[in-house]
Formats: sequence, structure tokens, C-alpha cells
Amino acid sequence: MIRFILRRILAAIPIGLIVTLGVFALVFAMPGDPLRELAGDKPIPAAVLAAKRAQYHLDDPFIVQYLLSMKDMFTGHFGTTFAGADIADQLRLRIPVTLKLATLGLVFQWIAGLLFGLYAGFKRNGVMDRLLLLATLVVLAVPGLVLYFTGQYLFGVELKWLPVSGTRDGWPMSYLLPAICIGITGFAGLARLTRTSIVDTANSDFVKTARAKGLGEQRILWRHVLPNALLPVVTLMGIDFAGIFAGAVLAESIFNLPGLGQFMFQAIKLKEGGVVVLLSTLAFLMFILINLAVDVIYGAIDPRVRNV
Amino acid sequence: MTTPGEVLLKVDDLTVEFDTPHGPVRAVDGVSWQVRAGETLAILGESGSGKSVSTQALTGILEMPPGRIVSGTAEYRGADLIAMTVKERRKIVGDRITMVFQDSLSALNPVQSVGTQIAECYRVHRGLSKKDALKRAAEMLDQVRIPAAARRVRDYPHEFSGGMRQRVMLAMALALDPDVLIADEPTTALDVTVQAQILELIADLQAERDMGVVLITHDLGVVSDVADNVVVMYAGHVVERASTAEALDHPVHPYTEGLLGSMPSADLKGQELPTIPGTPPSLRAIPSGCAFRTRCPMAIDECAKEVPPLLTVAPGRDAACILRTSISEREAV
Repeated sequence: MIRFILRRILAAIPIGLIVTLGVFALVFAMPGDPLRELAGDKPIPAAVLAAKRAQYHLDDPFIVQYLLSMKDMFTGHFGTTFAGADIADQLRLRIPVTLKLATLGLVFQWIAGLLFGLYAGFKRNGVMDRLLLLATLVVLAVPGLVLYFTGQYLFGVELKWLPVSGTRDGWPMSYLLPAICIGITGFAGLARLTRTSIVDTANSDFVKTARAKGLGEQRILWRHVLPNALLPVVTLMGIDFAGIFAGAVLAESIFNLPGLGQFMFQAIKLKEGGVVVLLSTLAFLMFILINLAVDVIYGAIDPRVRNV
Repeated sequence: MTTPGEVLLKVDDLTVEFDTPHGPVRAVDGVSWQVRAGETLAILGESGSGKSVSTQALTGILEMPPGRIVSGTAEYRGADLIAMTVKERRKIVGDRITMVFQDSLSALNPVQSVGTQIAECYRVHRGLSKKDALKRAAEMLDQVRIPAAARRVRDYPHEFSGGMRQRVMLAMALALDPDVLIADEPTTALDVTVQAQILELIADLQAERDMGVVLITHDLGVVSDVADNVVVMYAGHVVERASTAEALDHPVHPYTEGLLGSMPSADLKGQELPTIPGTPPSLRAIPSGCAFRTRCPMAIDECAKEVPPLLTVAPGRDAACILRTSISEREAV
């Protein structure tokens, strides 16, 4: 087990290098001058501009810029943003916001996905099953962006049930609406996979064997169908978990929550390569850790993938 | 548990239909057979002939719907399995009547150890504690001659070879010392050498326990090796019923004859192997009258008129062919 984990971490290093390099290159390739963008229409004295450019290594070749920002990151000298804010402070303030949003969104997504998926799978071809099929089709067809704005308008602006934006109302009120939106956009896939997986498993030969053994339906369901049907579901839940950051970028920007996603959004707009790479690396580390956790859990529930 | 020669399972006039979008399809039509203690009854037929469906219907493991039992009884020692409630049936199926299936890899739960799966029988039907049940499971593995059974009881199905897995299936089916074992193509997925071992094992365990065995197969070789009596099925009908020796030496129905003729044997060395022309009919379009007439070398116009009844041609011998049974027209029981 420990060797397996070590091997996975070692394998993550080259992937991490490629990911950070790729992200940095993409930011580097974006058109426009970051400092001019920051200044807006105001003229900047040439001397100030040159000093700033030197401070952020903007005139160095691409690979030097990349290596310098990697060095900063690993030595913990995150520095300041172009606008002058201390990045370490920013992280300290923003990480809890994103964690709260992501956790709540994930909880909504998993609960709705599992609940609907399990119920529809147990009562396949029933009314609930058909309603779920319709609902998931709608959710899958409507772009997340539309759903976020609709939710914000309907429950925030018109009905005034929940705050429109910002974190003034604190936890959990300010996070409810964006988290529900994340949950709704994400639950459909999970619900459908759970449902299909249960139906498939219920038709498998070993369930027939269980019937031939004279077992009760409840025992067949809990001991034979579910442990097998939930294997692919666990994988998808892990992928959802790892992908929640992407949903957070959108939700935080729309609902104006000062989290990492919003930070990322601003950094991309300003072409701040260092910040973008830093946040990407954080996301990447999360991804690796979650995947590792999924693999370890998977090994525990599926004997066929142990010791590989 | 059983008295020698006692009729354990008696199926009478069993008819099973499937509801499809194109209307009902009759997979099993008026099938009757019985199995006695110590007897091995082979149900022989091609895929789609209804041999598996009939046993799955009477044990209640057939998906219903789309399946539907139209008529018939299946009496285990006088109690009709089809008429009884699911709860009552569960006390018999899985305890007194057990089953093994063809593909042991998919027929075993992949995420449970084989010991747990065998122990489940003792826990559910006998109420044994986890520890005792596992101990009995290990004993069972030993009885089906799995080496190092005490250690392997914790292993998972994918850690066994095909033959060993089929032994696990057998251990599970025989755990509660059943009266009737229904073996649905138990050796089809195995190598020929392993096949023989498994059949031998079934025969040994059967002799020890004096149980009745219903062996579903499409393999005439298997039938001639182990079966006492044979029921030949074609397109949902029983076309011939006889002792194995009689059926193999003097087949009455042209279909049985055709099957025998297409068996490879030393006499036919160097010659092309004869086959039955054509393919089995789709259950959606069974020919009128005798279902076999379109492939039968001796079919006459009369054959298309009505379904030939299963008639007794000699004591213990029934066949459904108007050409061959017209001599003595006593209706079979």
C-alpha cells in the first residue's frame, strides 16, 4: 500500500511539471500587456513601467520566467500581485471561502445524485425514474452559466430568499445559492450513472445466483447489488470532487465570492502568469491527492484491483 | 433425507411466455419431466430451445415480467413451487433445490470472498453464526476437492481458475445438502479435461447424497457420460423422453437422430461430419404443426397440420412425431 502511494506520488511529479509549464505557456501566449491593462487609460511613466517589468521579470525569456516563478513557489516567496496585494495573505483569506463553497456544493451534488440515482435504480421504469430522466436531460442540456444567472435572478433578485452576491451574510447563507447551483449542474451525471449501474448490476448473473440461493430481496440489494453497483459511482464522485474547482471559478465570479476561483479569474484577466501557475498547481495537487484517495478507497472495496 | 427412487421434482405441462414489443413469445410449451432421488436427468437442446427458461421459471429466478408462467405445475415432494408464495419458495429454492450456472466468473459476486458467499447459505437458511458458517464453508470447499481449502476460503472469485471456480459454485450449491441440484450447463465454459473432472465430481457427490440432478446441456457427449434419462427439447417442446441408453441407441424422434448423427466419432473419420440442415426457428415464427418439420428429412404434409402430441412408444419412451408414434397411440403421462 505504501509503495503504491509512493509510486503514485513519484508519477505525479513529471505530470505536475508538464501541467505547470503548459499553464504558464498559455498565459504567456495571451495577447496584451499585463501592466498596461492594470493601469487602464492612465499614462504610466516609462521609468515606473520599466521598474515594474523588472520586478516581475516580464522582459526575461519565457523559460526563465517560468523557472523563477517555480522557484518562488517552492521557496514559499509568493510575492505580490501586480496590483500590490500580498499573495500569501490572499491565499489565507481566499482558501476558506473556496473550501466552504466547494464542500457545500459537493454535498448537494453527491446527496442529490446518489439519492435520485439509487431511488430511480431501485424503482426502475417507475414515475420517479422517468421524472429523473427528464430532469437530468434538462440539466445536462442547459449550460451552467445560464443556470447560475437564472438562479441568482430568481432566488436572489426576484424572490429575495437568498443573498444575490458577496459574503456579507456569512456562512452558510451567502454560500447556499452558489452551492445549490453547483450541485444542480453536477448531480445529473452522478444520478444517471448510479441508476444505470444499479440496473446493470441487478441484471447480472451473480444476482441470479443470489436469487437461486433463496436470499431475500433486501439482502440481495444490500449485499450483492449495491457493493458492485457503487464501484463506478465512487470513481465518478472522485472526478466530481477533483473538478469542483472548475465549478468554483464560475460560481465565485458570478456570485462575487472572494475565493480562489475569483482570484484565478482576475489573474487570468491580468495575465499574471505566476498567480495562475500557483493556483493551477494547487488545483493539481488537490487533483492528485483526491485521485490517490479514490484509488485507495477503490482498492478497499474492489478486491480485483488490490495490489496493482 | 431422500428415499431411493422417490420422485423429488415433478414438472407438469409447464408453459412460459415472454412479453415482447411484438407480442407474447412462447419459450416453453407444455413441458413435463420428473427427477427421482439418485437419478440424473439431462435436458438436452440447442440454445433457445427453452431448457434453461423452464428451470429458471420453476425456481422463480426468471425475470417476471417480461417472463410469465402461463400454465403448469412444478411439484417438489407434492408442493407446487409455482403456486406457492415467494417466501415459501425461498425455503425450498436455495435450500432443498439448488442451482449452478454456466459462467462461474459472472455467477459469483466479484467483491465477496468465496467463503462469505458459501457461508451466506448457512447464515440465511440455517441461522449459523459468522464463524461457524465460515468453518462449514471451508469444509465444503474441501469436499469439492479444492486444495488448501482452509486458506482459499478468504480468496475472491477472480483468484481461482475456471475449473476451481465451478467447484466453488458446486460447494455453494451443495452446502445445505439439497435434494435436487439443477446444473445449468455447468461445464460449457470449461476445458474438456476440466469438464470431465467436474462431471465426475458431481456424480461422486450425487452418489454420496442420493440427490436428484437435473443437468441442462447441449452436449450429447455429456448426456451419454452421466445421464440416466434424457429429455430432448426443441423450440420449447419436449420432442423425446427416454432413458439415455435407449435414446442414444434407438432414437425415435428425427431431431434426436439428427443430433446423434452429427456427433463426431471414430467411424466417421475422414468423412465430412453430417449436420442437421437449417437453423432452429425463431420463437417468434415457429412453423405450424411440428416445429422441426422445416429441417426434418422425412417431413410430410401432415406434419404442418397440428403440433404432434408427446406419445408413449414403448414403456418409459415418449416421442412427439406423428410418423414414429402412430404405431401405438397411448398418450404419455
